[in-house]
Amino acid sequence: MIKKHAKRIYLALIFILLYAPILTLIALSFNKSKTRAKWGGFTFDWYLSLFQNEDIMNALYTTLIIALLSAGIATILGTMAALGMQGMKKKYRAIFSGISNIPMVNAEIVTGISLMLLFITFRVTLGFQTILLSHITFNVPYVILSVMPKLKQTSKSTYEAALDLGASPVYAFFKVTLPDIMPGVLSGFMMAFTMSLDDFIITHFTKGPGIDTLSTKIYTEVRKGIKPEMYALSTLLFTTVLLLLLLINTAPNRETVSAPKKKPRPHRAGIFLVRRTLPAVIVVLFMIGGFYYGSQNASRSDNQVIVYNWGEYLDPEVLTLFEEETGIQVVYEEFETNEIMYPKIQSGAIAYDVVCPSDYMIQRMIENNLLAEINFDNIPNARNIGTRYFEKSKEFDPENKYSIPYCWGTVGILYNKTMVEEPVESWSILWDAKYKDNILMQDSVRDAFGITLKYLGYSLNSTDLDELNEAKDKLIEQKPLVQAYVVDQVRDKMIGNEAAIGVIYSGEAIYTQKENPDLEYVIPKEGSNIWIDSWVIPANAEHKENAEAFINFLCRPDIAFMNFEYITYSTPNEAARALIEDESIRNSKIAFPDDEDLQNCETFHYLGEEADQIYTELWNKVKSY
Amino acid sequence: MKNKKWFAAPYLVWSVAFIVIPLLMIVYYGLTDQDGTFTLENMAKITTPENLKALGLAILLAFISTIICLILAYPLAIILSRKNVNQSSFIVLIFILPMWMNFLLRTLAWQTLLEKNGVINNILQFFHLPSLNIINTPYAIVLGMVYNFLPFMVLPIYNVLIKIDQNVINAARDLGANSVQTFFKIMLPLSVPGILSGITMVFVPALTTFVVSDLLGGGKILLIGNVIEQTFKQGSNWNVGSGLSLVLMLFIVISMMFLSKTEKEEGEGDIL
Repeated sequence: MIKKHAKRIYLALIFILLYAPILTLIALSFNKSKTRAKWGGFTFDWYLSLFQNEDIMNALYTTLIIALLSAGIATILGTMAALGMQGMKKKYRAIFSGISNIPMVNAEIVTGISLMLLFITFRVTLGFQTILLSHITFNVPYVILSVMPKLKQTSKSTYEAALDLGASPVYAFFKVTLPDIMPGVLSGFMMAFTMSLDDFIITHFTKGPGIDTLSTKIYTEVRKGIKPEMYALSTLLFTTVLLLLLLINTAPNRETVSAPKKKPRPHRAGIFLVRRTLPAVIVVLFMIGGFYYGSQNASRSDNQVIVYNWGEYLDPEVLTLFEEETGIQVVYEEFETNEIMYPKIQSGAIAYDVVCPSDYMIQRMIENNLLAEINFDNIPNARNIGTRYFEKSKEFDPENKYSIPYCWGTVGILYNKTMVEEPVESWSILWDAKYKDNILMQDSVRDAFGITLKYLGYSLNSTDLDELNEAKDKLIEQKPLVQAYVVDQVRDKMIGNEAAIGVIYSGEAIYTQKENPDLEYVIPKEGSNIWIDSWVIPANAEHKENAEAFINFLCRPDIAFMNFEYITYSTPNEAARALIEDESIRNSKIAFPDDEDLQNCETFHYLGEEADQIYTELWNKVKSY
Repeated sequence: MKNKKWFAAPYLVWSVAFIVIPLLMIVYYGLTDQDGTFTLENMAKITTPENLKALGLAILLAFISTIICLILAYPLAIILSRKNVNQSSFIVLIFILPMWMNFLLRTLAWQTLLEKNGVINNILQFFHLPSLNIINTPYAIVLGMVYNFLPFMVLPIYNVLIKIDQNVINAARDLGANSVQTFFKIMLPLSVPGILSGITMVFVPALTTFVVSDLLGGGKILLIGNVIEQTFKQGSNWNVGSGLSLVLMLFIVISMMFLSKTEKEEGEGDIL
């Protein structure tokens, strides 16, 4: 009796472990507040807006199609391979199974990178097909692994008996061998399907522009906080699968399928209906959807513009407006950091038309001849951009030939007035032991070192080894006080009162203040980083004029205003700023600091590969300390 | 069916094109510098103190997670394998079910649960219990690993256990073995292949992950996966990244060889 209870409790504990996060996600899908840090009341809104969100629905469809196709093809390939391996000599079989195990035992990151190298070297355009090929590659081993044991269990003699009785090899295979190994084939398919659905890392490395699976979509969203629609979608997916499972498992005679060898199978028709017809119907539905989807893609005209932008850095509505007004189709892709963006442009694997890097990265791209000169005649709206921003841009684009400012801002300290009593005016508070475990630091090399160098009174573009080492020691000294190194999660964590002090970009500060009025933003007196993200056109762009039309559109005051409202990052567009109705925001010192506030601020410069390496190595020392 | 082996031909071609050649490219990048001349420097980067520490820590955490997974999974697999068939296949699917919620979302949900003002601490506070502060520590990473990879341990063990002939166990009991003896002399040895493939399936992803440590470690804890990812991402240095990947691969190959030696003729452990 006690044993039975112990068992129950044990099972229950494991279930809590497995399902606690899932319940959390389901709860979040009904959360009125946009941030996961706060419960804002119950709502069904996200489920409604989910179906209007074309991006998410497209990502869902791509994910399902890829999972289905890759699992299907992998099942055929894998089953054949397993059959073939049975007929091989032992030595060859060992080698073969060794190779086929590689994708499974190898680190996913290595597999993903190796496939990316392959596709780029052989000039395969990254996109739907490369994701599919990669998924098939890592799915086959799972199929082989689940078919193999079943094959070993089947006896050769039944197959031979069938041949003796006059069946052709093909007939015998489909009537004897295949039914025997069917459970293995099916579970292989399911496994492959699930793995494909859940994969992120390999997809991340092998996908192209304008295509996203749910995983990669979520990853870009982690930067800025997950959209609540994503929780709603996951909840729907989860409950659908749960219902399907319940349905299949309560279907009659399930057990006879699971233990096929022991009993004759009664009611074959019933099993047939549930096990074969149902999946078949689903497959057919997918196929139809797939053709529809395919035809939609095929109808994409050549009159397009391929945009590569930061995640969540543009109001999606703007893209729709642009397409409607100009008839140019927008293929839109997002990146998370300058450093991820750069190699993609450099390799030339994808010909982007318009990209939005930051200052120092633009300098690097200019130095490496990766950018085309912009024809300002095609962008009359550029006059809306304040001249002081073009002046600032000269630091990285000396003749203002390659870039048009899009957003700008500073890096500063966001603090919670209820937790910090003294006035905050210096970076030194980040080293104050009082706030141990209450400090959120930026998780990027240049920002972390920039702050520290400024605090020490040096330039944030320093390449002096002594200065850098001093900064490194300072950062190591700070590490025990730091709660976490994060990028854009600062936002959610500060809203949720998780920390007292955080290093944040000014654009995020405005949003956090809206959600949590206790927060205050400061540019420390030692000075900080002032950054500009600008639109540039890569040298290998195929639709340069469309790109210019796109930039021109974004410089229109009403459009720039829409974007400002959506992303809350400061706009250099003076005409757009005049449109802001809320005076406190139009004259906000956070969004639009005066020149005197920026006296000690500097822009990042590109420091060359060697210095980059030094920075990375020193940062690794800090991180692994 | 003498020509059966030709069935494997399509996959053979496939695996050469998409497994072997890409790996060779990693080897090429890993062993050359940016001008394309041969060098061992990239691989030697592993010996810097911080990289060694990241590797060591990754091994340690992966090891602990694997052990915890094994301890949790084995009794679970036994309990599941003793359920009647109808129920058990359902329960097994319940373990795969969480995978239908995206991996990143699931891990992110742990953040919401574990944070200082998170769900768990709110519950603890309600009962006036001391709060749990493991977010952004190695403990949270281990928890994340165990959570994410537990099914990979349960399923192979479960699969071996249900194949054990009940008669063998009955025979042992008839011959006077008590339940402890039966377990150690019969069940455990017979389930070794499942355990081994479970260990592989948990240890390797745990060793190489960078997502779990990123999301639950607060960026304060650097594992070898993070180092490699950063060299590709931040340093955009493919040569050093490939070199480090090579080292990692060697590491995995060695542990695989060690495992397969033990496994010998037990056959390929199966997952499902």
